[in-house]
Amino acid sequence: MLDIKGLHKHYGKVIALDEVDLQVHKGETVVIMGPSGCGKSTLIRCVNRLTEPDGGAIYFNGQNVLGLNSVELQGLRRNMGFVFQQFNLIARLTILENVMFHLVLGGMDRDEAIVLAKEALAKVGLESTWERRPHELSGGQQQRVGIARALVTNPELMLWDEPTASLDPILVGEVLEVMEDLVKNTGTTMVIVTHEVSFALRVAQRVVFMDQGRIVEEGSPQKVLENPQSEIAQLYKKLLAS
Amino acid sequence: MLSFFRDGFYQDLLILLIVTIIVGAVFSQGIAWAIDTYFGDTLDGMIGEYGEYDLVLHIRDEAKEAALRELERIGDQSFPGYKLNQTLTIAGQANFFFGLPAEFRTKEVLESITSYFGAVPGLNGYTLMVEPSVLIRGVHPSVRQELREQLEDLPGVKFTVRDGANLVIVLDSEDSVPQVTKQVQSLLKQYQILELRFPMGFEVDTQLVGDQALAILANQLGAKNRYENVTSAEYGEDLDAFLKTLVEMRDFLTSYASKVLITPDPQVRLAVGERILFAEPSDSKEEIIVEVTGVFGELIEGMIVQGQPVQSTDKLVQSGYRYLGDGSLGEYVGEVTIENERYRLAYAIDESLRLLEELEELAVQASEAVANGEAVLTTFQEALMQLEVLQVQMHQLNEGIAQGDSKASGEQFLVSLLLNGLFQTLAQAAIKTGEGSLDSLQNLDIEEMRQSLLGISEQIANVQAIDVAAIIQQIGFVRDTLPDLRDEEIGQSIRLINTYLGGQVIPGERIQILVRGSHLDEKELETLFRSELDNPYLHTYSTSVGMVNPDARGEIFRILKEVRSIVAGMLSIIFTLVVLVLDHATIFSTLKFLRSCEKPIKRRFLRIFDPLFLLGGVVGSIILTSVYYLSRAQIPLVTLPVVLLLGFGLGVLVVVFAERFSPVHSMEVMAGQSLGLSNVQIMREVVIPPSRPGLMNLLNRWKQQF
Ligand SMILES: Nc1ncnc2c1ncn2[C@@H]1O[C@H](COP(=O)(O)OP(=O)(O)OP(=O)(O)O)[C@@H](O)[C@H]1O
Ligand SMILES: [Mg+2]
Repeated sequence: MLDIKGLHKHYGKVIALDEVDLQVHKGETVVIMGPSGCGKSTLIRCVNRLTEPDGGAIYFNGQNVLGLNSVELQGLRRNMGFVFQQFNLIARLTILENVMFHLVLGGMDRDEAIVLAKEALAKVGLESTWERRPHELSGGQQQRVGIARALVTNPELMLWDEPTASLDPILVGEVLEVMEDLVKNTGTTMVIVTHEVSFALRVAQRVVFMDQGRIVEEGSPQKVLENPQSEIAQLYKKLLAS
Repeated sequence: MLSFFRDGFYQDLLILLIVTIIVGAVFSQGIAWAIDTYFGDTLDGMIGEYGEYDLVLHIRDEAKEAALRELERIGDQSFPGYKLNQTLTIAGQANFFFGLPAEFRTKEVLESITSYFGAVPGLNGYTLMVEPSVLIRGVHPSVRQELREQLEDLPGVKFTVRDGANLVIVLDSEDSVPQVTKQVQSLLKQYQILELRFPMGFEVDTQLVGDQALAILANQLGAKNRYENVTSAEYGEDLDAFLKTLVEMRDFLTSYASKVLITPDPQVRLAVGERILFAEPSDSKEEIIVEVTGVFGELIEGMIVQGQPVQSTDKLVQSGYRYLGDGSLGEYVGEVTIENERYRLAYAIDESLRLLEELEELAVQASEAVANGEAVLTTFQEALMQLEVLQVQMHQLNEGIAQGDSKASGEQFLVSLLLNGLFQTLAQAAIKTGEGSLDSLQNLDIEEMRQSLLGISEQIANVQAIDVAAIIQQIGFVRDTLPDLRDEEIGQSIRLINTYLGGQVIPGERIQILVRGSHLDEKELETLFRSELDNPYLHTYSTSVGMVNPDARGEIFRILKEVRSIVAGMLSIIFTLVVLVLDHATIFSTLKFLRSCEKPIKRRFLRIFDPLFLLGGVVGSIILTSVYYLSRAQIPLVTLPVVLLLGFGLGVLVVVFAERFSPVHSMEVMAGQSLGLSNVQIMREVVIPPSRPGLMNLLNRWKQQF
């Protein structure tokens, strides 16, 4: 469903992505791991063109993503949920509005959007805090709102950029729970960037290790983590063991 | 970057720009208008509405209450229906505005203001402000009458009023002011005052030379009747008086200074201005330097410019040598005689003081002498009387001896002999004075002597009655007040006065010629007059016979309008900057952020000529230029290109500092992007609502859905 070929991106002299190839199949859950600065975020953001790559190609359901015009791109993005590390909620809107406003702006009837938003919020375990504003919530709750916002459009692909990395360790659990629940119950294709190795082990069909802008190893979590080939994978194995 | 606007935001931006421009124009014009109205009202409050008042009476502040009462009395009595208003007190002077009822607004009344108001207590003068009117300032007296007649014939002119040197042309209506002003100006152009000035020391007989000048003009330019000698004595009276005083002062100082006469050596030529030094500084220790002030053949006059000769009433004769610049002696030039009237005067005064003191003493002594003389006379008279008695007794005795007793005894004869002897001795003194006998003593008129003594004594008393002491004191005072100036000081003062008088600083005598018709070039005429009148020092000037003055109110309003335009201009600039910072900085910073997510620009030229700067510049330029011209702003020297450039500069500046003015909430923008919002939706829903409150924020409320 997602086919990335020879993707390249550099910032000045820093090469963030170096000829990256990656395929993701429909319904698959892929976890990307790697040290800080290895290009994970860049890769995942290139998929919905939050970052414009310098070269290479991305196909989504056979559609050339990099060749889309702005209207087509907007359609594509609506079909891809994106969860940010920093939640990226709209501060001035309520929780409910945060989840529904892009539906309304996309042309949906307001009432219908409210229903959908409430459903989505229920899915992430938020049933009663709709009228609050993001700053009145805990980090975990905020991220769950972010998740609800991403999945309210019922996207084909969900992209997660370290959704728990900026959370209090105590709050990580509730978010991971929601994620695991989503992976197991929706069947949506997911690309998840995370450092949570045990979570990866539990939910991922495939794990991809990156280092310095390149994919260094990939395979099923069991295979990769039991018999790591790359330095990075070995490091993560140690992490898991400890 | 253009794609950012393509999906609809350009409409928002366009509407924003239009609204901004309108609001800006209304704003700056509104404030300018408010300034206008405020000052206009204040002015009206101060000087009344147009035509409300006709004259301002300037009254000393302390007398204003009395003046008010008197003005009301005059108004009630002479001008029923008058208007009176006391406004500002400026510099200790209260100003009363007095409005005449229409029927009294006549030439006759306006020209006899002094006879109506002259007795108002504390009146310091008045200013006519009849409206509508045109004012001509400084009308030359020679054309005043002629001008008035012509002016009163102009359409729209009611009458003219003379107000000192000014002429007020009272009009029928305000509308005719510009037209009459124009006509008056062209009328004034028909006249020219050509002035010939002669520096001090070259004064001329203005009548004679004036006529010569007329003749020269007539000869050279023809049209004899065009010129008229209008040199007027009253013109520049004060200045003349001052100059005369200066001349008097100079003469006084000259007579007061030491006279220096130089008898030049036959071989020596001395010129005015040369300096002479004495060989040895005689008794005084200072060097004495003499400057030659006049050479009249053999007679050379000088003036001491340095040093002070010894105080002496006698002539001082010294050998003089040329003074060389470096202070050394040059060649022998001749004998220099210095005479000082000042010392002589002082000497004379001292002498008379001495004389006066002696006179007083003399009077005292004389009166004592008279008193003595009187006492002598009395004694003398008594002695004479006793002598008479004795003489009678002696006669009787002699007769008795001779007749009664023929047989006189020897005793009797002896007595007779003794008495005769005694008498003879007594009479001795009288004999010496020429009188032969006692009879001649008797003949002395004692009474007359006494009378003349009395006369003398009276005269002496008169002398004594004169308060000599007071006279002495006064003369002493005169001597003390004699200027205690050193010769060099006098010399310097004279030189100073001479430069002042001789230079062009102050004109000397002048001749004024009225020229009718076309204008003459005074500089060309200067050369002509200089050669024809044989006077290289004269100057010619040309002046007009009067100046049309915009009326005070018009002038104030013109200034007000200028201020208004400048304020509007400043406000336009401020407004543009504020709008750019409040509204457009948000757009610029968002654009900057979005561009950072895109592929970096490769074309070098675009990196230098960043289209974002172009956008900012154009937006700034459009806003400023439109607001500036719509608000009818005008700042001196700020022309259209300047305005365009200024707007552009402001725009670029705001682009450069856009993030400082309006930071982007990049995470929210990214969220919007990831949710598939279009740029216009991101702007309306994500970027603008939390941005600074401004026009854009306000306008966005119509579009904003959340
Ligand atoms: N906007 C940017 N401008 C310049 N350099 C960037 C930018 N974004 C990322 N980079 C650089 O690109 C490289 C890859 O960054 P990226 O954020 O993809 O790493 P990452 O694997 O997500 O790291 P982390 O685990 O810290 O999130 C890093 O060296 C980073 O410094
Ligand atoms: Mg990252």
